[in-house]
Amino acid sequence: MRTIITILCLLFFVQIQAQNLAPDQNPSYLTSQNKYILVEDSLQNTMNTTVQQTYKAFDWYQFKQERKQNRINTRQQIRINRSMNSFDFNNNGWDNSGFNNNRWNNNRRNNNNNWNNGFNNNRFFSSIGFRSGNWFFWF
Amino acid sequence: MKRLLLLSILFSIIIFSSCARKVTRIDPAETPDINGSWNNNDSRLTAEELTKQVLSEKWLSEYSSQKGKKPVVIVGMVTNKSHEHIEAETFMKDLERSFITTGKVGLVQSGKKREEMRAEKADMQSNTSVSTMKKFGLEKGADFILQGSINSIVDAFKRKKTVTYQINLELTNIETNEVVWIGDKKIAKYVKN
Repeated sequence: MRTIITILCLLFFVQIQAQNLAPDQNPSYLTSQNKYILVEDSLQNTMNTTVQQTYKAFDWYQFKQERKQNRINTRQQIRINRSMNSFDFNNNGWDNSGFNNNRWNNNRRNNNNNWNNGFNNNRFFSSIGFRSGNWFFWF
Repeated sequence: MKRLLLLSILFSIIIFSSCARKVTRIDPAETPDINGSWNNNDSRLTAEELTKQVLSEKWLSEYSSQKGKKPVVIVGMVTNKSHEHIEAETFMKDLERSFITTGKVGLVQSGKKREEMRAEKADMQSNTSVSTMKKFGLEKGADFILQGSINSIVDAFKRKKTVTYQINLELTNIETNEVVWIGDKKIAKYVKN
């Protein structure tokens, strides 16, 4: 008797659910519906927008221009670095402590030869003046 | 002395005026190509072509005859998979405008604008008079969603380059997932630097 009642109840519920379904609608549509209702906001973020997924195409001419610009930037950076660390420029690679021990060379930061004595190979910068590290700005 | 002064002034005017930036208004329909990238002309040609296609193909008449009403479209996402930054809104807006001006297709708001609209409606629930308050749950549902993609192919060697853009738009029935229309526009360019 109990089994019959259970089967009847089950049939009744199935009948109710079938009445809510559209013709040919999948009866387990709620699984998908519940899944997408939860993530609806995040999926609609890009609606009415252009999502940019661009790639970099190889263009010989553009590549050459970029390489040229990089070279210019690198040289400029080298020049900046050189001017920041210009105290080292007068270092000719040799210990000149034995030579030219005149009173101008005995400051604490530059024991090298600052005068144009032939050992100084810096062709671009004057050995006297701002940022050259010589005696002029060290009194 | 006076003549010399006048001459120097004239000379300086000529020198400085030649260096000044010059801006002239041009017809948006005749924008010149400067460096071969995607520009206003491409966007306009795409909009014209796709508008013509979407309004003249059979999906529209079929839907109208089956349902007895005009279809409602919502604009979805456009993916730019080309090598340049391209904003699809420039041609999508022209397309949307054609839906409204021809009256053949209904259009509903989507994305951030729709969010703003709903926020305004939410604000109304507690701030506006009852007679002017707009209710939730009465929005028109879209029948179709319009999605798209932009692709490009680049072939370059030394100073010569060819670029081909392909713009695709798809219209899909939201309920059945059936793609009812695919529009495309191809633009090819030859660039010599």
